[in-house]
Amino acid sequence: MSPATPPKASFLTALTDLPKNVWKSIFRNPLPSNDLERSSTSFTNFFLHIHPVKVHKNSLRPGYTLGLGLISFFLFVILIVTGILLMFYYVPSTTQAYDRMLDLRGSVAFGTLLRNMHRWGAHGMVAVVFMHLCRVFFTGSYKKPREFNWVVGVILFLLTLFMSFTGYLLPWDQLAFWAITVGTAIAGYAPVIGKDIQFLLMGGTSVGQEALLRFYVLHVAVLPAVLTLAIAIHFWRIRKDGGLSRAEDADPVVSLEAVPADKASVLEPKKLYGFQGLVRGPLPKVGQIPDNTVFSWPNLFLAELFTFVVTLSAILVLSLLFNAPLEEPVNALHPPNPAKAPWYFLGLQEMVSYSAFWGGIGVPGIFVLLLLGTPYMDRSTKGVGKWFSRDRLLANTIFITFVVANIIFVIIGTFFRGANWAFVTPW
Amino acid sequence: MAVNLKRSSGEDSDGGKTSRRRMLGWLTGAGLAGSAGLSAVSNFVFIKPRATYGQPQRFSVGKPEDFPSGTRAILAARGICIVREGTKLAAISITCTHLGCTVGAADTGFACPCHGSRFDQDGNVTGGPAPRPLPWFQITLAPNGEIEVDKDIEIVPGSYLSL
Repeated sequence: MSPATPPKASFLTALTDLPKNVWKSIFRNPLPSNDLERSSTSFTNFFLHIHPVKVHKNSLRPGYTLGLGLISFFLFVILIVTGILLMFYYVPSTTQAYDRMLDLRGSVAFGTLLRNMHRWGAHGMVAVVFMHLCRVFFTGSYKKPREFNWVVGVILFLLTLFMSFTGYLLPWDQLAFWAITVGTAIAGYAPVIGKDIQFLLMGGTSVGQEALLRFYVLHVAVLPAVLTLAIAIHFWRIRKDGGLSRAEDADPVVSLEAVPADKASVLEPKKLYGFQGLVRGPLPKVGQIPDNTVFSWPNLFLAELFTFVVTLSAILVLSLLFNAPLEEPVNALHPPNPAKAPWYFLGLQEMVSYSAFWGGIGVPGIFVLLLLGTPYMDRSTKGVGKWFSRDRLLANTIFITFVVANIIFVIIGTFFRGANWAFVTPW
Repeated sequence: MAVNLKRSSGEDSDGGKTSRRRMLGWLTGAGLAGSAGLSAVSNFVFIKPRATYGQPQRFSVGKPEDFPSGTRAILAARGICIVREGTKLAAISITCTHLGCTVGAADTGFACPCHGSRFDQDGNVTGGPAPRPLPWFQITLAPNGEIEVDKDIEIVPGSYLSL
């Protein structure tokens, strides 16, 4: 500011420039038009800086990832938003909860739609998270250095199941009551601490108001917080572990020559790939090494936007076409006959119909331990980055066996079980 | 404040002695971990209820005349089935011993709608995943002539109250 400018004029200029200055104070970069700005935008924006500035072309191949991780995340976002909205009308009380469901259906604007979106989003998340787990397994992506992120992923899958379990109890209909009865009883079969866990979950010796309140707190506070934290770690680790997995031949072979000392950058003399260095000052080799990456803006961000729009549209269409089920109000005296869990727990229900301990604790527990231990037992580095690689025939076969067995149990539980859980044929 | 990163003189881990710094580090760590553990335990103590709400476990179900011989009356709200054969009375639980669903009457005894457990007339397991027979509860005749059931006391199956 020059001293000659009259104060009045400079104040007026400040006023006229105010919108522009406010905008610029928030967004430091213009819409990118060159590589420098594309990088800068990616890492100066809070929401975008979670992404790398440049992303490997392999990570953008729809046929490789099927976008399953992103879809899971976007479903989680949809569930958070619809869930918070539903909380405005819900009361976790055994005498009011069911009436509140009827209110949502009858007298709340968009109540039915929001409940449908929340229900179908939850079903979708269980399915998509499981498919994501399968994708990561079949492409061998859990291998070093991604072992720990696989473990976080398995925990996320379990949290998703627990989240959906605590959620479908809340309407306090027949499904809710008998699911909570059976679910807490299964926990009671766990060795040593089972009975204590059951007591803590139910908040008493029988299923009632205390149990509903406890599952509500788990569903709207405890589990979302844990899930959010675990998702943050999961995303963070993707980048720290070198991006999405890819085959060895996905990168062109380059030999890096020693950079003459007098030409090296004073900022980062050793890091050839430092993107901050790329923006702040030219490094000798950047841009000259073929590395099969593209800028995240716009390639990755458009792909994410597209995935989000498709996910949201699918949930919206489902929610407009199909209403979320609501069974009869709780009748603590008579379970529905047969009393069936949602489809994704029917395999488990079928298994506990043989043995409560082995079906509810033993086999699922062993399966989870196997999943958690997979990257530490399978140390071979072959077959990463390809679907159904021949090098991974054994691992994939074992995994498919487990998946198919579970699917068969789900199908039996869904279609072949009638009154008193007796075997029936659906035709 | 400057932090001296050098070891205190004369205390070397190679010499078999634990340095003061290292010991203080261990003590600090143990103290913090202990406090965190205690906090976690107290949280669990907090969410474990001391008083629970529920129905009384000892209650009266009416006079013997209300249950003529041959009756098998399911009192769903109480979670029991009153069985009367001649002058013999018994109270059998109708809470499935598998995973806690309420069993219903079936031709051969009881059947559970949740996972298909089956029991005979006396509550013995005849099929399905139930690990134990349905328990029998203590049944007594109160001085006022009413039948009293105590669900806190299980008795040997087959031991009836004779009127």
